[in-house]
Amino acid sequence: MAGWIFVLSLVAAIVAVYRPFGDYMYRVVTGTRHNAVERTVYKAVGVDPQAGQTWGVYARSVLAFSAVSLLFLYLFLRVQDKLWLSLGLPAVTDHIAWNTAVSFVTNTNWQAYSGESTMGHFVQMAGLTVQNFVSASVGIAVAVALMRGFAAKKKTLLGNFWVDLTRITLRILLPICVLATLIFMVAGVVQNLSGGTDVTTLTGAAQHVTGGPVASQEAIKELGTNGGGFYNANSAHPFENPTTWTNWLQIFLILLIPFSLPRVFGRMVGQNRQGYAIAAVMAILAIGSIALTVAFENHGGGTVPQAVGSAMEGKETRYGVTGSAVFAAATTLTSTGAVNSFHDSYTALGGMMPMVNMMLGEVAPGGTGSGLYGMLILAVITVFVAGLMVGRTPEYLGKKIGAREMKLASLYFLVTPILVLAGTAVAFATGNNTTALNLGPHGLSEVLYAFTSAANNNGSAFAGITVNTGWWDTALGLAMLLGRFLPLILVLALAGSLAKQQPVPESEGTLPTHQPLFVGMVAGVTVVLVALTFLPALALGPLAEGLS
Amino acid sequence: MRIPSWLAQHVAALRALLVFTVLLGIAYPLVFVGVAKIPGISDQSGDLTLIGQSFTDADGNPVTKYFQSRPSAGGYDPTATGASNLGPESVVDTLSDDPEEASQSLLTQVCARSLAIGKLEGVDGSRPFCTADGVGAVLAVFHRDGFTGPITRVVAVNQTDVPFVTTYQGVTVEPATNGEDYQALGGVITPIRGDAPADPVVPADAVTASGSGLDPQISPAYAELQAPRIARERGISLDRVHELIEQNTDGRALGFMGEPAVNVLKLNLALDGS
Amino acid sequence: MTAVLDKHADKHAGEPATGTAQKPVKAGLIDPKQFGKSLPDALRKLDPRTLWRNPVMFIVEVGAVFTTVLSIADPSLFAWLITGWLWLTVIFANLAEAVAEGRGKAQAAALRSAKQDAVAILADGTEIAATQLKQGDVVVVEAGQIIPGDGDVIEGIASVDESAITGESAPVIRESGGDRSAVTGGTKVLSDRIVVRITQKPGESFVDRMIALVEGANRQKTPNEIALNILLAALTVIFLLAVVTLQPLAIFSKAYQAAAPDTSAIDGNGVTGIVLVSLLVCLIPTTIGALLSAIGIAGMDRLVQRNVLAMSGRAVEAAGDVSTLLLDKTGTITLGNRQASELVPLNGVDPQDLADAAQLASLADETPEGRSVVVLAKNEYGIREREPGLIGGATFVPFTAQTRMSGVDIGDRKIRKGAAAAVIKWTGSSSAEVDAIVGRISDQGGTPLVVAENDRILGVIHLKDVVKAGMKARFDEMRRMGIRTVMITGDNPRTAAAIAAEAGVDDFLAEATPEDKLALIKKEQQGGRLVAMTGDGTNDAPALAQADVGVAMNTGTSAAKEAGNMVDLDSDPTKLIEIVEIGKQLLITRGALTTFSIANDIAKYFAIIPAMFAAVYPGLDTLNIMRLHSPGSAILSAVVFNAIVIVFLIPLALRGVRYRPSSASALLRRNLLVYGLGGVIAPFLGIKLIDLFIQLIPGI
Repeated sequence: MAGWIFVLSLVAAIVAVYRPFGDYMYRVVTGTRHNAVERTVYKAVGVDPQAGQTWGVYARSVLAFSAVSLLFLYLFLRVQDKLWLSLGLPAVTDHIAWNTAVSFVTNTNWQAYSGESTMGHFVQMAGLTVQNFVSASVGIAVAVALMRGFAAKKKTLLGNFWVDLTRITLRILLPICVLATLIFMVAGVVQNLSGGTDVTTLTGAAQHVTGGPVASQEAIKELGTNGGGFYNANSAHPFENPTTWTNWLQIFLILLIPFSLPRVFGRMVGQNRQGYAIAAVMAILAIGSIALTVAFENHGGGTVPQAVGSAMEGKETRYGVTGSAVFAAATTLTSTGAVNSFHDSYTALGGMMPMVNMMLGEVAPGGTGSGLYGMLILAVITVFVAGLMVGRTPEYLGKKIGAREMKLASLYFLVTPILVLAGTAVAFATGNNTTALNLGPHGLSEVLYAFTSAANNNGSAFAGITVNTGWWDTALGLAMLLGRFLPLILVLALAGSLAKQQPVPESEGTLPTHQPLFVGMVAGVTVVLVALTFLPALALGPLAEGLS
Repeated sequence: MRIPSWLAQHVAALRALLVFTVLLGIAYPLVFVGVAKIPGISDQSGDLTLIGQSFTDADGNPVTKYFQSRPSAGGYDPTATGASNLGPESVVDTLSDDPEEASQSLLTQVCARSLAIGKLEGVDGSRPFCTADGVGAVLAVFHRDGFTGPITRVVAVNQTDVPFVTTYQGVTVEPATNGEDYQALGGVITPIRGDAPADPVVPADAVTASGSGLDPQISPAYAELQAPRIARERGISLDRVHELIEQNTDGRALGFMGEPAVNVLKLNLALDGS
Repeated sequence: MTAVLDKHADKHAGEPATGTAQKPVKAGLIDPKQFGKSLPDALRKLDPRTLWRNPVMFIVEVGAVFTTVLSIADPSLFAWLITGWLWLTVIFANLAEAVAEGRGKAQAAALRSAKQDAVAILADGTEIAATQLKQGDVVVVEAGQIIPGDGDVIEGIASVDESAITGESAPVIRESGGDRSAVTGGTKVLSDRIVVRITQKPGESFVDRMIALVEGANRQKTPNEIALNILLAALTVIFLLAVVTLQPLAIFSKAYQAAAPDTSAIDGNGVTGIVLVSLLVCLIPTTIGALLSAIGIAGMDRLVQRNVLAMSGRAVEAAGDVSTLLLDKTGTITLGNRQASELVPLNGVDPQDLADAAQLASLADETPEGRSVVVLAKNEYGIREREPGLIGGATFVPFTAQTRMSGVDIGDRKIRKGAAAAVIKWTGSSSAEVDAIVGRISDQGGTPLVVAENDRILGVIHLKDVVKAGMKARFDEMRRMGIRTVMITGDNPRTAAAIAAEAGVDDFLAEATPEDKLALIKKEQQGGRLVAMTGDGTNDAPALAQADVGVAMNTGTSAAKEAGNMVDLDSDPTKLIEIVEIGKQLLITRGALTTFSIANDIAKYFAIIPAMFAAVYPGLDTLNIMRLHSPGSAILSAVVFNAIVIVFLIPLALRGVRYRPSSASALLRRNLLVYGLGGVIAPFLGIKLIDLFIQLIPGI
């Protein structure tokens, strides 16, 4: 019962902030005034904030920024031993540095390393925390560019990436993080530069209690749907997530931006109901998934959970089964990947749900920005089929979905399944699956989960698998890189293509894209076209394990 | 000289990254490191009672005057946090004379913990799917035709000495041999439920490792189970122990968030202090 | 005759009000014999060089070849049955296309027979073969001869039998100058002699194009078809990948479950090739892939059946998208002619006298307007019709453009009726009363005809445009479909407004010149709307070319027919509405079958996945919710269903899904229910049913 109130309170909170926060974000991304700090940033960066960019230039800016970030972070990790606050830790090895740099630049925050024994404080702050912010901003910026594409009438310019990046970071992410950091600190989350304290336990043993600038990273870790923990135990660690209410707050922060962006979309295209429709699709899928995860985890069965009496392995006492399952669903429904419990030890079907959530394509509600643009791509595909069914060349918000738009949308929705399925198959074909800790179908799940997580830029794991080998670091790095930037380029190309069009005025003959019927259809398309693709693979993993 | 536009983009990117690194990577965390030092804002920050510890002696045996924490995959080492990551069907042990080679399945770990706690607390430590000697009650059943046909052979895969049952559907159960993979030989891995109560006396959190490996808390049920031993060992009344448990129990925040839990270190400190 | 001359006024005289009644989009009949006749074509289409254009079916064929090889290498009943049904899947798809094309071929053959080896007689008397005519040649055609090529009549007038192309047996008049000058090669001159200037290039005559069109030769994929093909290709790639990548996982799983016996579905080498191909074929959207081109051909065919020739599939699709319909008033919205609806006597004039005078003045007037006055006089005033010849001493005065009135002189009774200004001038008298009546009638959209005897004005005949029955309902329907109707008329704004209101159109363009029309189209298009119109005159050509859907009347000029992207052989302007419906029906059929195809996958997953893997993980039999007999029967049933459903849907693809004009949300609700939900449920029932039969086959 308390568990369902927990879920409902989260729903209520998201509903409450949808409008005000969405409107605030809308004002941020559409405002014409630049404040003093921003003007200083533009001057330092050397860009003209008034200059608009075509989709091509916008895309090149995104790619340039990400490429520079990737290189910078890689080098940073490789020389961390020589830097301030390295805590005596060695330089990060080349393949882990590559994997980690890709991981944080792509908003995946997959961790092939253990935070407390690999990263010094300075790298965590100046390397990883920074990417936590800007990779989230990049996602939102691209989503905003796509919205502008929908809203534009015969235009070629989609805004200015540098302006979007700066504003989103400084006006949306930073203020909320400042607040959240303070709250986390009050709750007990660590925020210091200590290299750790050696203490003696009650029974006389030695314990090295770690420190670090955790709270400041924790806030953006959740808000930016990043998920890379300061410590290996991530949000299960008492220093990252000490209480049951910080657990609630973390889930809220995870869902906040992805669920509010549809409001920005609605405002942008001048029809709030279109935003509600998209949010409704996200909500239907999310609530369904959370309910299933909670149900499977509480009643899923399996030999060990039955022996134990509940699926408590890998879960903290304070969150319990439900508080852990809701977090697991939220972190995988968004592209966050933070964990407060370890999915690998979930019941077979309970553990399948995080995988299915990611397999939906990280759209319900998905990552910051990436969730919305992924959902809009699915809406475009649905509009195409539904539009034909009402006897017109399909159009979404007055923009015709023709061959070019379908080409881009189809390629988009090809990318992640290809990466996931091909990656998993290659891992098995080359014998790299043997680093999985568990045997049989569960071992298969660990491999499938890894590629699903990487290609969808989630970052959570069935953590039993050992992935800090050269092959795994390289393969997952590629999956993350391609899984992030190919869709992103396709989305911007689509934005450019839509922006050029003169919108078709709405009439009775126009497919209504705000009604429950359409909402249901998008949800259906998402499940049937996207998630069911993975059913054969799931059959040999969690389903084989759970249905025995 | 005009720089080409692709280069200009990258220069802008580098400058932007540096600006953000200074703002978000240095200024933002350091400001809060400073804020943390203001008294009253983060009194709990880094509080030792936030993370758990084990209350065992040098040999790893429970120190009986203390409440015991949950099992931990990392031995309550804050530099090696994490979970066991063993799956729900991790039921077959790898048996070997070499302790390096051998590994326990999650089921056996659960069974062993349950048995040990039962013994420590003087209660019934039995659980479903567990043998009386505290390993997973699992058989490899060989059929003539794979999954069907008459049973030809049955092996108790987690036991090298005496199997927990003598026969299975009329076929004599044989003990396992070290290093043998009966699944690969064609055996169907069959956990045996046994007749243990569905609701074991030893609570769930007592036999499972947490996600962090640093879980500072146990369930009120587990604390309750340990209370008589503490009272006995310390020579104080059971009521006093209950009172202290009560004082160190965090209820659900706002009445609905999470689960009630007892902070073990605080409780033990309180015991030592009283 | 009338004050306002509508340029169409004479053209549709006497034509029945076709197309105004709600006609459901007619279903083409499918003769089972057509399947048999098309079978050879279907087999010919197995040629991979033609099949590769349809990526979905091409994949199925590759799969069928693969399983054939496997079946030869390792024969079993199961393998051969699967292989057979995979081939049938491809053949059924080809059959759908062949049947669709077959119907066009029959029409093409009829057209070819009309295009006999005509001989052309040039103006100088030399004879050359019709095929050698060049643009600009001048030929003479006499009664009984076939017109050798498309052109314009530059001299003479003739009645022409155009039944070869229009199917209409009544001859039509073709004469030099004006809007009736175009003649079509292959039609026959019945009387008189005309001189024709050839306007076609050799081999590009109207009939040539018609033949190519109905045969579906050089059929270009339409924009929506291309977009849909992209989606289908993407789905195919995804499923191909899902199936191929399954293999290493299957090998791993089978190896792990050492107890699992080898079955016909899975062994140590993973899922067997036969089953893998079966899974792939069942998952990729074969249903829509198989029927897609048949749907397109059939859509064109439906237009042809209604005597409309679309010059491209693109135009048919555009018809479905139209949001503004420009309709000529006369002949489309109103009957071709006005009718007397009321006689308004002046003060002090006996209505009976007025009626009598009006009737007398109209007796010799054989125009429909004139006849309508006689009819009104009879019906409303009981004045019997008199034979003009039986009135002694009557001299009838015909209507001329100069006098703009007609009448009769009986002794000294000079009775006249005609345009108000003309008659008033003739009588030499005027009154405020007459002006008031004339003004009132004009305001109501009518045409006033003043009747006078000698110098005395008796009253005014109210000639009224008669809106065709059912037009208002039709336009309401259009509105519900989101289509705006704009009436185009040469009338003055007052008249136009009144008729527009009565007909229920959304807007009108009065005193329209061709330039106005063109400007209106451009304005609509700038607003993102697609415009459809009909036209026939040379001066309509720019507008026809500008419109997204320009339907030229076959009676129109060559220039108009060149400019439009459709030609209506019946020259019925109301057909535009039907064309829009056919365009929509075409798109809906595609969308509905795509939805059906995708929805089918759910059941197929539940049939095949447990069949493949329950041998390895017995628990997966839980997913066998249809409780199919055995792995072999489950897979075979899914494959058979997948093939048979194509055959079942061929009639639907050719006929088009049922379409009733309604709003987009109503359409979506209905089609989603029928084809979405139906697509989910149907295969569960179908596969189970097939399984009940298949399990009777020993060894499956």
